[in-house]
Amino acid sequence: MTLSRRQILALGGGLCAAHLAPRNLLAASIEVIEMRGTARGEHVWFVPRGLAVTPGTVLRFVNRDKGNSHTATAYHPAIFDRARRIPAAATPWDSDFLLPDESFEVTLTAPGVYDLYCIPHEMSGMVARIVVGTPDEQGWEGAAGPSDDVSQAVLDALPPVEEILSRGRIEEDTR
Amino acid sequence: MKFSSAALAFAALMMTGPAFAQDADALMSAPPGEPFVQVSDVLPLPEFLPGLGTLFVDPGTLPAGPFLSYDHDGKLSATVYMTPLEELQNGTAYDGLSLGANTVAGVDIYYNAGHPGVETPHAHVVLFHDDGAKGRLAE
Repeated sequence: MTLSRRQILALGGGLCAAHLAPRNLLAASIEVIEMRGTARGEHVWFVPRGLAVTPGTVLRFVNRDKGNSHTATAYHPAIFDRARRIPAAATPWDSDFLLPDESFEVTLTAPGVYDLYCIPHEMSGMVARIVVGTPDEQGWEGAAGPSDDVSQAVLDALPPVEEILSRGRIEEDTR
Repeated sequence: MKFSSAALAFAALMMTGPAFAQDADALMSAPPGEPFVQVSDVLPLPEFLPGLGTLFVDPGTLPAGPFLSYDHDGKLSATVYMTPLEELQNGTAYDGLSLGANTVAGVDIYYNAGHPGVETPHAHVVLFHDDGAKGRLAE
């Protein structure tokens, strides 16, 4: 195959654009978020617990905890009457309980900050924050603030939006 | 009067608690029959839980149990209690709990962050009924 000068220039421009894009903003695709736990259930958590993606990214939640079931549930009044912590334009979701190795997918399109939790483990801090797009996008909605609906422990477990955007992925796992 | 730790351990192992009213032999193999239900049939949990085996419980005894724990061959291997920490802290006591079997070869107690059925942080108290039980329930 031979490429014309115009095609080569276009290809070069595309490569440059790719390099100029935010380094840590992952391209639209499927991103896996694992649900994990220690063998005896002392600790449970999402991996990653903070993730930056582009609009249209599919999130696949997979339960990798052999001894427990988990959910990935959006904070939203339509689901257990929780205070909304996802963009107003977003559709709320609840994976229902996932047994070991079961999975659930959801596509996030509305730009903004999404907080989610595991129903039986919210009290243990099993929460995650997904940042879709960047604050300069039209319709962006930032993180929900504190409310009586969530504990301070939950708020503390959610990574700051700025950190997620700068690092792209937060999954410290020292447990 | 002083007791050695070994003597105390021996005494603990030889203690007998209130067993279930029904025929103890009926509990030795899964399924134990009414009023017990298999936990994985009524809650979204795996049929065999690593470390705990296949659990049966009388729903009327929740959250503490006892949960009867069976190995892959359906042999009663442990009796498990699940005691929410907050309830203990608030003064709730779980006294006079029944045993699946009167022989106890070892006891493990550890923290659990929660799971369907007992969703608040709680302690697992696991009474193994024979020396090999822990190994059989591990995986």
